[in-house]
Amino acid sequence: MQVLTISTDKPEVIRKKRGVHRLQARMLSDRDLVVTDAFGLRNQLVHSGPLDDEVEALPVPTTLLVSSDGQVLWIDQSENYQRRSGPEVVLAALQSHLDTPE
Amino acid sequence: MITNRKKVGTVLGFVALTAAILTVAFWFRLANQVAIPEDRTLFVVAFLGAAGLGVAALIVGPRWFGGIPAILAIAIGGFLTFTVEISPQQVADNPIRVGDIIPVFTALDDQGDRFRSADLAGAPVLIKFFRAHW
Repeated sequence: MQVLTISTDKPEVIRKKRGVHRLQARMLSDRDLVVTDAFGLRNQLVHSGPLDDEVEALPVPTTLLVSSDGQVLWIDQSENYQRRSGPEVVLAALQSHLDTPE
Repeated sequence: MITNRKKVGTVLGFVALTAAILTVAFWFRLANQVAIPEDRTLFVVAFLGAAGLGVAALIVGPRWFGGIPAILAIAIGGFLTFTVEISPQQVADNPIRVGDIIPVFTALDDQGDRFRSADLAGAPVLIKFFRAHW
């Protein structure tokens, strides 16, 4: 299955840093938050992270599992940026929602 | 007497900084493991404790080289407490929900190539929004 990531980082920053994830993901840059806003995921509270000049806001950390016909099957969201679900939570979601998780 | 007092203040300053550094080290270790607990009261107590020791050191009156770690402990303990306080996040009024069809979107990837959500059709996908690389 495909993995997509979306952040406000510049493409060149993502290119430079992508090694830290050791992840075969398509990593997208959303400088103007168009994608973030289309999903309604712009954080409304304090960002408490450095924003560069061109970036207005940050998304709320969110993971979505989407079916092959584009329907959201599962959402995991951090209501607190200091907390995230571990990989086991995501793997469990894949297993329960998809027949053959990779 | 004054010398003794300064000694106590200096030692307190170093104790405060040590407490602050140990707590921060533990904090970042858990952060790396994605294991910061939901209830961070103990962390806040430790951060404020370190800052409090730093304040105590300054009140007692350390030598200058004891004052620096005291001030650092106050800065570190205070800042980390602040980050815990401002950490809640909230999405807009109408976020995407389970059952929704994802919006059509397009964006540049890290190679500068344009990605189109239409390319996703036919296969499931895991989409991860994250804050940024720092």
